[in-house]
Amino acid sequence: MPAWVHGATVVPERPHRTALVVLSVVLAVVVAAAGGLTWYLLHVNAAWQEHSQQWQALAQREGADLAQARSDLEATRTELQGVTDQLTTAQNRITQLADEKAQLGDQTAAQQQLADYQARISTAAGQVATALATCIDGQEQLIGYIENSAQYDAQSLATYRQDVENYCGNARDANASLQAELKK
Amino acid sequence: MTLRARWAGGALGVLLAVPLAACGVLPSMPPPVPTDAVPTVRATPTISAGSDQLSPDGFDAVRRMAVRIRNVGCGEVSTGSGFALTATTLVTNRHVVADSSRLQVSTYDGHDVDVTAASTAELADLALVRTKENLPSAPQLAATDPRQGDPVTVVGYPLGGELTVTNGHVIGSTTDPLNSTLGQVLVTDARVEPGSSGSAALGADGKVIGVVYAKNAEGYSFLVPVSTLRAMLGDETGFEPAPTCAG
Repeated sequence: MPAWVHGATVVPERPHRTALVVLSVVLAVVVAAAGGLTWYLLHVNAAWQEHSQQWQALAQREGADLAQARSDLEATRTELQGVTDQLTTAQNRITQLADEKAQLGDQTAAQQQLADYQARISTAAGQVATALATCIDGQEQLIGYIENSAQYDAQSLATYRQDVENYCGNARDANASLQAELKK
Repeated sequence: MTLRARWAGGALGVLLAVPLAACGVLPSMPPPVPTDAVPTVRATPTISAGSDQLSPDGFDAVRRMAVRIRNVGCGEVSTGSGFALTATTLVTNRHVVADSSRLQVSTYDGHDVDVTAASTAELADLALVRTKENLPSAPQLAATDPRQGDPVTVVGYPLGGELTVTNGHVIGSTTDPLNSTLGQVLVTDARVEPGSSGSAALGADGKVIGVVYAKNAEGYSFLVPVSTLRAMLGDETGFEPAPTCAG
């Protein structure tokens, strides 16, 4: 159709055709982009779903491990408490045994002292008995000598008497030692 | 170029730019899922503090340092307590080791430890006993004497019986009622008995604050303070060989 512009005749242009081409290209691009975007979003969605499932599986696995660990911990705590109780019992027993050993040691030491004391008493008593017997024998012998003094030298008799006194002195000393031991 | 063509070119540019810009806000692909989500935690030993204070049999240092002393005299047997000062030296009271013919030492677990020498202090009811074998554990001496109200723990062998730990507090200080120690002595309400003489008195930090040496009718116990013990240990001439019953 000719167009009249300011009374002059102009050559008809083809704007509608160009716009149609441009719009067609744009529309094609938009459709292609939308298709690509849709494909991408579906792909991403599938990947995230799989990702979520993997996390859920991991969480369940870790949760099971945690539950097992808690169970093991509780069992270990119970076992530890039992071991602690046993250790306490063992320690108490060790302390008791150490005390029993110490008491036995005390008794042994006391009995050893008593045995030593009795040994000293026995020794002292034996010394008294020996010295006393010597004294008595000497005195009997001296009495016999004196009854027959005419047969013996006076000096010899005096010497023997001194010996007998020494024997009896030893007996008195031994008895004094025995009495001292008995007083301890 | 006509205005309309320019306009169309601009629109095309916008249409191309918008999807490109939108790529920046599109959701990205998920990262790979780890095989293990448990964080790595460095194991912290829960009994590191003081674990070296435990022996393999589980006894703590307080009990391991205590020793029982048997004084075999000439005609009588008596017992007392003591505690390790070093590996082969222990502290006790002078009256625990005096007038003996033989001293016998045993540890918390009943082991016998041979004694090589004993010496007594002249100015305090203190004595040092040297041993042939090592003692299980030795505590540290406190730097200063305790104050009134401070807690005190006494570990020893009251009445020559089992190893016993008793607790109390420092009541104060006084002059020695037995006149066996120069200077001030500490008074505590920790229960002791005959046989506890020579026991270590420990402060809240486990350090020795004194040495038990007596008790009174009210049940209070008397300690040779650690300051006196330190002074005695610092003066070797203050000790002399322990008197024996044989003379």
